[in-house]
Amino acid sequence: MKITRRTFLKGSAMAGAMTVLPKVDAYAAPAPQSYATLIDLTKCDGCAGQESPLCVAACRRERAASFPEPAQDQLRDYWPQKKHEDWSNKRHLTDRFTPYNWLFVQQVQVGEHVLSLPRRCMHCDNPPCVKLCPFGINHKSEEGPVHINQNLCLGGAKCRTVCPWSVPQRQAGVGLYTMWQEYLPVGGGVMYKCDLCKDELAVGGTPHCISACPKDAMAIGKREEIFSLARQLKSDYNGDIYGLDENGGTSTIYVSPVPFAEIDEALQQQAQETGNKQTVRLNNPENMLDKQKGLALLSLVAPVAGAAAALGLTGRKDSGEDQR
Amino acid sequence: MKIVRHSLTVRITHWLIAVSGILLLFSGFGQMPMYKRYNIVKIPGLAWSSNYELTLIMHYVCAAIFTAAVVFHILYHLRRKEFGIVPRRGDLGVSLRGFAAMFGLGKEPEHEKFQAKQRVIYAIIGSTSLVLIATGLLKSYKNLGAIILDPMLLQWSTYLHTIFGMIFMLLFLAHVAALLLKSHRPLIPSMFTGKVDHRYVLHHHRKWLTEGDS
Repeated sequence: MKITRRTFLKGSAMAGAMTVLPKVDAYAAPAPQSYATLIDLTKCDGCAGQESPLCVAACRRERAASFPEPAQDQLRDYWPQKKHEDWSNKRHLTDRFTPYNWLFVQQVQVGEHVLSLPRRCMHCDNPPCVKLCPFGINHKSEEGPVHINQNLCLGGAKCRTVCPWSVPQRQAGVGLYTMWQEYLPVGGGVMYKCDLCKDELAVGGTPHCISACPKDAMAIGKREEIFSLARQLKSDYNGDIYGLDENGGTSTIYVSPVPFAEIDEALQQQAQETGNKQTVRLNNPENMLDKQKGLALLSLVAPVAGAAAALGLTGRKDSGEDQR
Repeated sequence: MKIVRHSLTVRITHWLIAVSGILLLFSGFGQMPMYKRYNIVKIPGLAWSSNYELTLIMHYVCAAIFTAAVVFHILYHLRRKEFGIVPRRGDLGVSLRGFAAMFGLGKEPEHEKFQAKQRVIYAIIGSTSLVLIATGLLKSYKNLGAIILDPMLLQWSTYLHTIFGMIFMLLFLAHVAALLLKSHRPLIPSMFTGKVDHRYVLHHHRKWLTEGDS
């Protein structure tokens, strides 16, 4: 084949792109030694007879030091809006995510099964909340937990919007923005959510919710071990599994005796009947970043395209162009 | 008499960078939770602006155009050995005199095809763009899948991207403001036609004519 400048440039561009393309499929999955958790819905009964599920109580008790304590004079509307998010007078709520309640248990009937569903951050493998935080202060560590740096968070709540389960919750009147909110209407508080008790994990401990569970319905371990256990339980129960692929994969795996599609349907129906506008679903959301990864790749190969075009056009002079 | 100041290639590159840069600023600010809060969504036709997915798509596409155009610009002029816009020793001092002259203080120094202050501003906008591109590429890379960057690397590259985005916006506004000054207005049509009036060149770029600098 005759090699012309055009075919050479085309080849060079392809070769350049190939240096980037193979990496796309070689996604660095979370390290095998990172943590994952298992929630077995055949064991969880929501701590029937207790005032609140023991996992919820343990989380609220043991993590209370991390909860926000806003000063009343800092609780101001988000100018020009006439509202702000203050949960400090609703600390008692245990049936939803709030800055003071990072874990709650949904109860729903699906056919003959009454299921209790502990819900908290899924600690996604490709977390949109981390990757799209405009200040990069939402972190995912190699060990698995996703956590927010509360000292640097400005409370824009974008993480809540891009989270398919709306897990992070905002408290006004605390955090960095209180230093300037009197003069500059920027920021709205701090976002709070489960961090899988990462400080406990760092010293060899166990998340408080897991150690408080009297039914051993929750477990934590190395990622591959937990995944393998979850698959085994699914087979044993002839049941279903949730969290392996949802939102691009997570490190929180649920195992259920009934299909999650049915549970999700029941949750939505229950929300409708009780007049709740929203419920934390168990659907299969598509990861927003995965959906647009083709365009991310386009921006990555752009330098190659620019270079190829420059090499192709260099030397040509436009008509009437100044030659000096 | 008209003199060719910008070739078609240069004009196309300039406008690709300008238009994509403006849209990058809009979509970049849209990645911060501000359009809903500050009621931009209530402006007719901009109800979509608070949708992070739409502004992300716009940001990716414009980033690809912007990056390709900047890389093209650098390599194209490198290969053609065209360095007329690269700052030279002493440009800072001459620039200060040039800025003073813009406001009627003193006489405008004589310049080549590009004024000293244009060369300095070019270097500032150019290096700001390169920081944005470098940090932007890293941010795109980590969005390809379950890629976990060191959290502090992600934090600081995100901070840099956001801060330099704001600097870029200020530089863009200064660039447009400078062109609105009466003395610089003839340059506006030149970015479309490529040509400037001979008298303008004599007054603002006398050395270009006399020394043939490009």
